[in-house]
Amino acid sequence: MKAFIPSVLFAAIAASFTVQAATPANTLVIAQSIDDTSSFDPAQGFELTTVQAFNNIYQRLVQSDPNNPIDLKPTLATSWEAAADQRSLTFTLDSKATFASGNPLTADDVIFSLSRVVKLNLEPSFVLTQLGWDDKNVDSFLTKVDDHHVKISWTANVSPSFVLSLLSAPVSSIVDSKQVKENAKGDDLGHDWLASHSAGSGPYKIRTYVPHEVLVLDANPSSPEGAPKLKTILIKNVPDPAARRLLIEQGDADMARNLGADQMAALTGKKGVKPLAIPYASLYFLQFNAKASPALGNPAFWEAARYLFDYKHIAHDLMKDTFQVHQSFLPEGYLGALNDTPYTYDPAKAKAILEKAGLKNVTFTLSTSNQPPYLDIAQALQASFAQGGVTVKLDPGLSQQISTKIKAHQYDAYMSSWGPDYFDPNTNASAFAFNPDNGSQTLAWRANWSIPALNKLTLAATAENDQSKRVADYRQLQLEVQKNSPFVIGLQAKSLIAVRDNIQGYVQGINPDMVFYSKVTK
Amino acid sequence: MTDSTTPAGFVRQGWRWSGRLLTGLISLALTLLGLLAFTFTLSHLAPIDPTLQVAGDHASESTYAQIRKDLGLDQSVPVQFGRYIQHLAHGDMGISRITAQPVASDLARTFPATIELATCAIIFGAFFGISLALLAVWKPGSWLDNTARLISLLGYSVPIFWLSLLGLLLFYAVLHWAGGPGRLDDVYLYSMESKTGFVLIDTWLSGDRDMFFNAIKHLWLPVAVLALLSMAGITRLLRASMLGEMNKEYVILARSKGAGRGRVLLRHVFPNVLGTLITVLTLSYATLLEGAVLTETVFAWPGVGRYLTIALFAADTPAILGATLLIGTCYVLLNALADALTYLLDPRTR
Repeated sequence: MKAFIPSVLFAAIAASFTVQAATPANTLVIAQSIDDTSSFDPAQGFELTTVQAFNNIYQRLVQSDPNNPIDLKPTLATSWEAAADQRSLTFTLDSKATFASGNPLTADDVIFSLSRVVKLNLEPSFVLTQLGWDDKNVDSFLTKVDDHHVKISWTANVSPSFVLSLLSAPVSSIVDSKQVKENAKGDDLGHDWLASHSAGSGPYKIRTYVPHEVLVLDANPSSPEGAPKLKTILIKNVPDPAARRLLIEQGDADMARNLGADQMAALTGKKGVKPLAIPYASLYFLQFNAKASPALGNPAFWEAARYLFDYKHIAHDLMKDTFQVHQSFLPEGYLGALNDTPYTYDPAKAKAILEKAGLKNVTFTLSTSNQPPYLDIAQALQASFAQGGVTVKLDPGLSQQISTKIKAHQYDAYMSSWGPDYFDPNTNASAFAFNPDNGSQTLAWRANWSIPALNKLTLAATAENDQSKRVADYRQLQLEVQKNSPFVIGLQAKSLIAVRDNIQGYVQGINPDMVFYSKVTK
Repeated sequence: MTDSTTPAGFVRQGWRWSGRLLTGLISLALTLLGLLAFTFTLSHLAPIDPTLQVAGDHASESTYAQIRKDLGLDQSVPVQFGRYIQHLAHGDMGISRITAQPVASDLARTFPATIELATCAIIFGAFFGISLALLAVWKPGSWLDNTARLISLLGYSVPIFWLSLLGLLLFYAVLHWAGGPGRLDDVYLYSMESKTGFVLIDTWLSGDRDMFFNAIKHLWLPVAVLALLSMAGITRLLRASMLGEMNKEYVILARSKGAGRGRVLLRHVFPNVLGTLITVLTLSYATLLEGAVLTETVFAWPGVGRYLTIALFAADTPAILGATLLIGTCYVLLNALADALTYLLDPRTR
């Protein structure tokens, strides 16, 4: 026995000297942080990890083509028709589609899936309640024509094309109503069970989910999309980006997500690894609380601030080209996005504007998350604003702590990012250019920016059926926000990932959820 | 002869011990209740709106209001605390807002990972810490002493996340002596049946020796980093305590009677600092059980330290209270253990 323990220890040390194993051949191993996950129920999940999983475990009636997201492609619905009054759509469902459980897709599944989102009333439900639905009336707007036809109607003054965009959002994922009802507890509509299980028709299904540890997806060969190429997707929680970099470098992960500029720089030129900076619809912006002080509510100060944001230095030098300069509220790649960048860093011009407006010695506190890249960008802004004679005091904090302050209007200025919730220009217009008097805490509300005219235009754009007129509306809205608002939109992020060079067929679109693993081979 | 040798003495002794146990349990319950009340108040004073964690940044006003009501946040803080205690008395620690799972099952999953890491670290930390302290006191001011002091100073002052990353870079990425972040290689991750939550025990029970060695390969580096940290504390305190004893009369007497340096150290000085050593070891172990957040983050180790930190950042009160209760219980029990051991080993305390 005395010799046993040393021999075990020796064998363990000897085993340590073996060469690193590659990832299993039929498994895609992804290193990322999954700490953000709340629930894999499409009625609740609204974080990066969950919405990215939804594209692989669920399908919607219609979905954006990731290579050209403006095009909606039939998915679980083979066709649809709008009523003459433009207040309903009738969908023909794919009669051959089945869920991973083997249950066939019917109109009941569509009605159950959409109505439970509204009834559960969790974070992403606002996407569907824009249609005038609430927990009491939603059932009356969802009608089963027959097993393979379903009619979806609404009261809100919005166009059928806008409704189609909403139905392509992750929250509109269609769940297997029979399987979910079998696992429901009381009147929870299967919410508890779906938090860590899946009941979809996507190319993968959840095998295991261990919070803060791992998400394992197994292939669903019966998916209407076709069987996926790899048998398993293993998404393991590696919270530290430097550790993710080491894993991909060593070949112990096939893909590393959410890397930082430093990790990307370190991986560039490394054998066997491909760092990818993929266009991404996340905007970084500065926002002022218009009622915090007379200076911060003065449009002249807003204009001066646009010349004190050192766009190019931050995007190219500080962030090592992991950002691009972008100055309008629709990200590049969106319908109607304004991609020109009329503002450049010009402290002299800013000083002149401030002087003309009689604004001297302006000082404000800038609240931001204490995590990279927010704090790095905020520090760069502190330096660049100082060149224009504006003193910036930094107030970094936990994201939740800062969000609490912003929602209570207890701040001067805020540096943050905004990602779209669904692929339609309204997703950002309704945040930056919409401040209705109905309790909606939009970004414009948080900035205390009163904009009755823009509210009307934002609503009109969602009701517009003619695409060219809709584009014109959004261009006008963007111009207004770009030139005369308490927002200084400066940067559009890129999604920073790295893959091993034997990985083929990975598809990622511009929206945060548009991550597709079904065609990946290795 | 003591009175415990008579039947009446046994009864009296029994009553005395029962009384002590009861007093101990009441003291434990009151300490934990106080700890919970304090943590509950603190978590409500934090400038974070817990509703935002669940409702998110984009939710509508009606969603926000409903979630606030569902979480019971529309009630006063004392009412919320009362409800929590009532549920706790029934064994219900609530549902975590960050994982949507019962807090008890979250803790049952994360705590074994931390115990495993902490226990291995304290064993190695104690062994090397005591050895280093003895070497240092062997000849104070010598190169041995200076080396021991340098090592313990390094363990104290080098940031642990930096040391962890450097360790990963050297032993995992360059030398390939250690496994990467995580508790097992992916190939083994799902062939192991988790019976105890302790990866070393589970892999051993699986009968697959390769898997067991793989678990050691992943475990040794975070253990080494944490062992260095606890070793630093043990060495410093033990060295200082032993040096304090070295000038006392009983040591001078022993030396004058011809006892060698080794005998004086091991037979005379060491037993006299056992009380300090036990206190240092139990406190070090308790600190490690609290979770080494940064080490757990760098090594993707799913322990209770990371769980509590994520819960704190999200103002997830049920998770914070559950983890605090668990860690608080560990502290109290380890303190009681330290007292009992000191009582047994040091006759002066009886």
